Amino acid sequence: MGKPNLGIDGVTSAGSAPAITAPLPPQYTREEGFLHLQPGRVTELIGVPGTGLTRLGLKLLAEPSRVAPVVALDTRGWISPEAAWETGVLAERLIIVRCDDLILWPKVTAALLEGVRAVYAEVPARIKDHDLRRLTALARARKVAVVMRSMGNGLPTGIAHLRLRALGVTWEGANRGHGKLKKRRLMLEASGRGVAGTTRRFEVEDEGTDAVRVVSDVVVDQVRRAVGRAGSRSR
Amino acid sequence: MWSLIRSDAPSDEPVLVVDERVTGATEDVLTAGVTLGMPRRDAEALAPFATVLVRDLAEEARCFEPIVEMVENLVPRVEVMSPGLLFVPVVGAIRFYGGERPLAAEVAKNLGGLTADRRGGEALVGIADGPFAARWAAATATSDEPHVVTDTIGFLSQLDLSTLRATMGGEEMIDTFRWLGISTLGDLARLPRDTLASRFGNPGVLAHRLATGEDRFVNPRDIPSELGVQLSFEEPLESLDAVAFAGRNLAERLLKGLRVAGVAPHTVIVKAEAAFGPSRERIWRSADPFTEKALTDRVWWQLRAWVETAGVPGGIVGLSITPTDLSGEGRQLGMATDESSGIEVERALARAQALLGPDRVLQGRPQGGRMPGERVAWSRWGEPEVERERDPDAPWPGATPSPSPALVPPRLQPIDVEWDDGMPSRIRLGSRWEPVLTWSGPWRLSGRWWAGERDADRYQLVTSVGAFLCVVSEGKAFLAGVYD
Repeated sequence: MGKPNLGIDGVTSAGSAPAITAPLPPQYTREEGFLHLQPGRVTELIGVPGTGLTRLGLKLLAEPSRVAPVVALDTRGWISPEAAWETGVLAERLIIVRCDDLILWPKVTAALLEGVRAVYAEVPARIKDHDLRRLTALARARKVAVVMRSMGNGLPTGIAHLRLRALGVTWEGANRGHGKLKKRRLMLEASGRGVAGTTRRFEVEDEGTDAVRVVSDVVVDQVRRAVGRAGSRSR
Repeated sequence: MWSLIRSDAPSDEPVLVVDERVTGATEDVLTAGVTLGMPRRDAEALAPFATVLVRDLAEEARCFEPIVEMVENLVPRVEVMSPGLLFVPVVGAIRFYGGERPLAAEVAKNLGGLTADRRGGEALVGIADGPFAARWAAATATSDEPHVVTDTIGFLSQLDLSTLRATMGGEEMIDTFRWLGISTLGDLARLPRDTLASRFGNPGVLAHRLATGEDRFVNPRDIPSELGVQLSFEEPLESLDAVAFAGRNLAERLLKGLRVAGVAPHTVIVKAEAAFGPSRERIWRSADPFTEKALTDRVWWQLRAWVETAGVPGGIVGLSITPTDLSGEGRQLGMATDESSGIEVERALARAQALLGPDRVLQGRPQGGRMPGERVAWSRWGEPEVERERDPDAPWPGATPSPSPALVPPRLQPIDVEWDDGMPSRIRLGSRWEPVLTWSGPWRLSGRWWAGERDADRYQLVTSVGAFLCVVSEGKAFLAGVYD
């Protein structure tokens, strides 16, 4: 049985499905599932450090790591493989490549895209647009699933097939000195070609294990949908 | 102790040659308690007086080339295993020289003439049935007395299990054997092979074959002539860079073709055609099927040795690699494993490593510790794993709980935290202050006072933009991780 699509091209749901009481179109599914990458597509993660996007990016490598080695390209030397292992990435299949050199970064990334199936890459702030476009074309040609996290103001347009922007994060478990951080809820906004030009919002729940789940409805931005319909009628 | 023979090793000082472990050491260093195979750090602690050299296999291969040529002049079809170790099939040569002992004596005499005056170049010769037994026969010989084994099974049965390690690895399996009370190859040989096969799989069968003297590939295959690869050059290759590139290209082509045929090479013939002079040919063999890196390395060592010893006058105009022993060994894939992808990954990572250096392409393994930064044992990709400093299975009371921060600075970073009546109220992130919404902690972290470490408190601070792990010591706050 194929993985149900959450209506976001590039993010699909996998895992056991609880009972659904009423039939829903795929983009409205309430099923829990794991995030899932697609080969040849670039997914961009946008958000400040602390929102949980590094963990989400590493989580996206978990499934490809069951088949072949995966790489996290680290520009700051801060990425901790322990977080990746917690999300299900196999320890023996995760390679961390550290590159903070602006000139070498495109070359190293290209070398990795030639052979690796899935890459999580932090993108230094001043990487040239044309380098990123060439890397995107290479990823597409080699069918490499790429997750990019810009260290600057985001990637130029046309690079990412799907953009996931962190809108907010809440934590459960800690209470003014008591308890410990336990569960994080991350509100994400998906946009780009992966969602057919619309904007959708959903929530990801992370309990510090490999069970990172999409838990809330995928909410369609009604305004944009309306604009899209109006456009199609006018033709 | 061939790794000592390198030209840059000082001749009158104690020397230690290492990669991750000790591969060579002079007598005075060995007397200090250093042993071959010991971790580098331990050896350096035991012999701080020694000059430490990092192993250079290409240089060792270059120094080894005259030895190989000399042996080849006495007995044809020399097979090089690694710099310092070669095998020769002696069935024909025994008849020519009138027996095993005269042959061994002749080889030892000629080798001694070449290497006796060079430190580390003691020539040891052993003769036995099969490469594995011959290797250990040589290891138990002396430079004056070659070791000719007449009863190979009997000789093997006395060898310690650790002799398997150099040929086939299998550290865990060897430990398991010891735990079961098996300490010699003789003990191992007495076990039923099918039992070993069912318990340990292919490595168990290979170990049993070695222990019983069946050190040959049991299923040799016919080798189609088209599986060899060659390159011709209109302009002779003289620079080492050009030779290296051509060698790598050829090795990659060979293995790609063999993969399609579903076989793997154990022995290859590397042949170089000189612009002015005869062709050169050398056989390299390996106990395991050659990987791309292993084959590229050997081709490179050989070509470099020929070029640097003026063995190919006028440069190289033709190169070929021909496999001579093939097997399907190592081709059994797991259901979810993608072997071709694995090889491409290896190539991609090797390129990244060439661009960035070996310390930038890393692999982590879980280890014990209380702080997130302590719980990863880093190793360079493609090199033997570094021993864990802390046991990951120990309880580690007081360890920072999961989820782990996804970003961990290599060293604690000073960070500004404002306190209100002993409780954190604001944290400075870049140029702005963020209110602390809630927090957990403090959790006491008792430092190793005997090593000068001080006690500290850990806090998990939650703000509207994320959560942070902070350590507070002597009133100063440090960032230990970002829950990103």
